[in-house]
Amino acid sequence: MRIGSYQLKLEKRVTLSGGEAAIISVLAIIFALALFSSIFILAEINPLFAYREIFSYAFANPYGLPLTINRFIFLLLCTSAFIIPFRAGLWNIGMTGQLYMGALGAFAVLFAFGGKEFRALDLPHGIVIPLMLIAAALGGAVLGAIAGFLKGKLDVNEIVVTMMLNFIAFWLVAHMIKEGGPFMNPGGRGESFELPPSVYAPLIRGIPFTIFIALGVTVLLYFLFAKTRIGYQIKAHGHNPAAARYAGISTFKIPLLVFTLGGAVAGLAGYHYFAAVPGVYKIARNYGYFGDLAFYGIICGLISLGNPLAAIPVALLFGGLSIGGRFVQGKLHVGFGVDYALLGVLMITLVAFQFFYRYKITWAKTGGKVRCGSSSLEV
Amino acid sequence: MWEFILRSLEASTIFTFAALGELVDQRSGVLNVGIEGVMLFGATLGFITAQSTESYLLGFLVGTAIGGLLGFLHGFFSVTLGVDQVVAGMGIWILGFGLTTYIGCPYTGPLGMERIPTILGFSPFFYAGIALAVVSWFVLSKTSLGLRIRSVGENPSVAEVSGIDVTKTRYLCTTIGGMLAGFSGAIYALFYNPVWNYNFLMGWGFIALALVFFSMWNPLILLGGSLLFGTLWQLSLNPQLVLPGVLSRYIWRTVPFVITIGVLLLISTKWFRTRWGAARPEALARPYVKE
Repeated sequence: MRIGSYQLKLEKRVTLSGGEAAIISVLAIIFALALFSSIFILAEINPLFAYREIFSYAFANPYGLPLTINRFIFLLLCTSAFIIPFRAGLWNIGMTGQLYMGALGAFAVLFAFGGKEFRALDLPHGIVIPLMLIAAALGGAVLGAIAGFLKGKLDVNEIVVTMMLNFIAFWLVAHMIKEGGPFMNPGGRGESFELPPSVYAPLIRGIPFTIFIALGVTVLLYFLFAKTRIGYQIKAHGHNPAAARYAGISTFKIPLLVFTLGGAVAGLAGYHYFAAVPGVYKIARNYGYFGDLAFYGIICGLISLGNPLAAIPVALLFGGLSIGGRFVQGKLHVGFGVDYALLGVLMITLVAFQFFYRYKITWAKTGGKVRCGSSSLEV
Repeated sequence: MWEFILRSLEASTIFTFAALGELVDQRSGVLNVGIEGVMLFGATLGFITAQSTESYLLGFLVGTAIGGLLGFLHGFFSVTLGVDQVVAGMGIWILGFGLTTYIGCPYTGPLGMERIPTILGFSPFFYAGIALAVVSWFVLSKTSLGLRIRSVGENPSVAEVSGIDVTKTRYLCTTIGGMLAGFSGAIYALFYNPVWNYNFLMGWGFIALALVFFSMWNPLILLGGSLLFGTLWQLSLNPQLVLPGVLSRYIWRTVPFVITIGVLLLISTKWFRTRWGAARPEALARPYVKE
């Protein structure tokens, strides 16, 4: 394509440096937000005003900021849960189910300690909270391991399996908390019993301690992929499973490992939202909403190209956008589900931008008018 | 009981249409994991159109058209841009899930139109579904167009050499596949369960995707599979018909998903693969780049 005396050319990328990848990712986000402003325009709201409201509520408002940080912790854990299998070339879209199982695991511990009957129970939080964390990680890990085992052993399509497990876990939660299920609230409101205040997660300046878990997991993952043998094996499996097998890397153990780890991290996300976020402290009736939010993890993982550290700012941004989106939805009377719509627009833009990870557009000034007489624009 | 059988057949019709679309898609070598998203779009826009124009015909037309458009978009991503087809399919699904939640929300509630008339107890879609399965079987295995589609799915470079336009064939298949998925979504929202609620499909599209794998890419086996899953789905909604009072109704809802995993497991065993594994289109999910 020619514009004036410049030539636009499409070139296949041989390599993609981290800087180039970051630029593409940032451009994708900007493009998506520009595309998304059409929703505000259709609702007859100035998009610049809407975005200012979103960002100022999410990042500069004393009510909005803690919400953003809590959502950030949740998204970062979901993103890590997606990234671990993603680096091995496998798709974990089962964070939703894994976090439900994590929540059930955490509440099972409370149930065992009798937390359902007596809310005022003074439980030793130094023992119960670690147990809840372990149970949450285990719950998620078991569900993840099913997909990993089937993938490794029989090469069963992991996308369909993790999706099926999402629905199974969704209905299991419904079974546990509704219509006389074991975890049902004694008040009978179709939600789980509430956490005894003695085992509320410790807060640091209003932020649950899970923020250290989320950040710690990303740092650990970074070192896992950059420095360790097992990380190298995971990446080798991701590049080419067949070649990895010739190199002596088990094509059974790697899928099982990555899905178990991913599931465990997603399980912690379940603990975070249902047992650590101030003001929730129960498996709420609308638990499906938190499951849906886990899909932001896929987007964060893809935009950060599987780099756990790059996922931190992305998760923070999307956490803020989804919180701010919910806020303007009420304040500016936009329709319900702005955060869902944003999820969709971001994802599809990202898919289109995948193209630029493989190709680049180059500008070249063509020579004088005489040498290149092919264009009809030239006189 | 008769009512139950009827409902099961209606449910299997929805699976039939969506899975047939995906089958055509995959036969040409393109994998679309996002049919649930296409179905959600077809259902939501079909529902809105039908409710605001009071015309079923327009509802189905719009549902099918948006499905075709999304199928075309998937073709654009996976054929022209050469994006990883799983990523593209995920994109279509999350787009459908996200945007329809936003678009459809003001329309939450029942459709409020007279029900579509039935022929001998069955909806017209039931007959159409069976006919379509037979027609697609015939076209795919007996006609030159079918040969063209299959060869593109098996070995695109050989097909290209023998004078077949790979790009055009794949676009044709992804668009038709999308139209069928959109139509099946419209059947759900306009006939099977004419009440709009957010993300109401809850897995229909993903089960349809799995059905294609079970069917060994044969439309007639697929028809049998959708009958089985239609019945299973209906059974999971009405467990009292078989085992009244056993387990909670929520546990029963997991049954179709558990069985899907079970069947996937079965067809992935070595025993099965060595016997029938060759049915899988060779170039499935692999982008074709002309040298």
